[in-house]
Amino acid sequence: MKRASKAIALLCAVLVAAASLPSALAYFTTYTRAQGGAVLHLGGSTHITEEFSNWTKRVVITSEAGSQPVYVRARAFSGSQYPLTYSDEGGSWSAGDDGYYYYNQILNGGASTPELLIHIDGVPEKVAEELQFQVVVVYETTPVRYHENGEPYADWAQALKTGEGGGEQ
Amino acid sequence: MKNRKKWGLPVGTLLMFVAAAVMLLTSTVGGARAALTFYSEAYTSRMQMRNIGVTLMENGREISWRNYGQEADGSWSSTENELLSGLLGEGETLQPGKAYKEELAVRNSGTIDQYVRVSLYRYWLDQDGNKLRTLSPDLIHLKFAENSGWIQDPDAATEERLVFYYQSPLGAEETTPALVQTLSIDPSIASHVTQEEREENGGTTIVTTYDYDGVQFRLEAEVNAVQTHNGEDAIWSAWGRQVNISDGILSLA
Repeated sequence: MKRASKAIALLCAVLVAAASLPSALAYFTTYTRAQGGAVLHLGGSTHITEEFSNWTKRVVITSEAGSQPVYVRARAFSGSQYPLTYSDEGGSWSAGDDGYYYYNQILNGGASTPELLIHIDGVPEKVAEELQFQVVVVYETTPVRYHENGEPYADWAQALKTGEGGGEQ
Repeated sequence: MKNRKKWGLPVGTLLMFVAAAVMLLTSTVGGARAALTFYSEAYTSRMQMRNIGVTLMENGREISWRNYGQEADGSWSSTENELLSGLLGEGETLQPGKAYKEELAVRNSGTIDQYVRVSLYRYWLDQDGNKLRTLSPDLIHLKFAENSGWIQDPDAATEERLVFYYQSPLGAEETTPALVQTLSIDPSIASHVTQEEREENGGTTIVTTYDYDGVQFRLEAEVNAVQTHNGEDAIWSAWGRQVNISDGILSLA
């Protein structure tokens, strides 16, 4: 009889567990997921091209294809005897307070700036002997930065690259 | 007394047996009532199945979903598209600091009310596709909407993972407010550089190489949904998170 009692008690436990089982398994759930990303391309390469004629340097800065967009600034150095005059035909360059001339637009990869004309003044029309002096052009680029609202800006404290042109004789 | 001697059963066991029998009988009756209701409605109106389904929305577009089949035959309808596929325009490159619109929301694509949560994972991959653990996921900025009904679970947060719960029940075909509004890459990532000085073409060139040029950021979103009926127990059972639900509003326990 004791065995029958135990069997019935066990049966009761199973029945009670079975009765509560459906509610434990009845939760409706589902899920979904997605993923993605993007590659960060930093850096790039720019180079300067200079042409010299009529005591004027014609400076063009070119960004190689695939380079990230940059801002550009340039300036030239000469002896005080030969002051320099800057100009450009389209008004794309603006003088800064620091002696640099700033290209007003963003220079994208594969594009070039318009010419910046740097005229060397004070050179005599006729010289008795060989005249030697140097005019050095320096340009810098810095990656385009963006404010949170999407407005682009330049951070010249983080210049990307500095190049120097050669002198003239 | 004679009977008890004859059966040899203690009173407790007998009571348990009776209780079990009553519970079984009650559950059977419930099923029979449900069946009766089923047939009655079939004659009078179109049957509305009780399905659960959830859809991840990105900038108002359905990205991925998993819905219980309309036939209620155990099948699921699911699709998973790529996130961030429209982040950049044709020929556009990712710009550090720029905030890109990335509105992530959840739509209830089932027929029953549900609670939802979203787990976001941010991390970096190197050029070979391996996870880059030296670059902090914090450089991937996600701007979260304020007072939108989403709350973050600080206990579930890791450097990579952020978990958010939507506090209100989401009705069928309803969409939550956007959890995320914008995504941007911290500009400081461009401060990690290596510089090299070269003499070329009669001039000096200082070349700056960015240490993290070519790395890829990744964003993963996982959406979970659970029924609102017995919500606290359902969430505890399905998600392993204890929550309190008062007047339908969910809060973390």
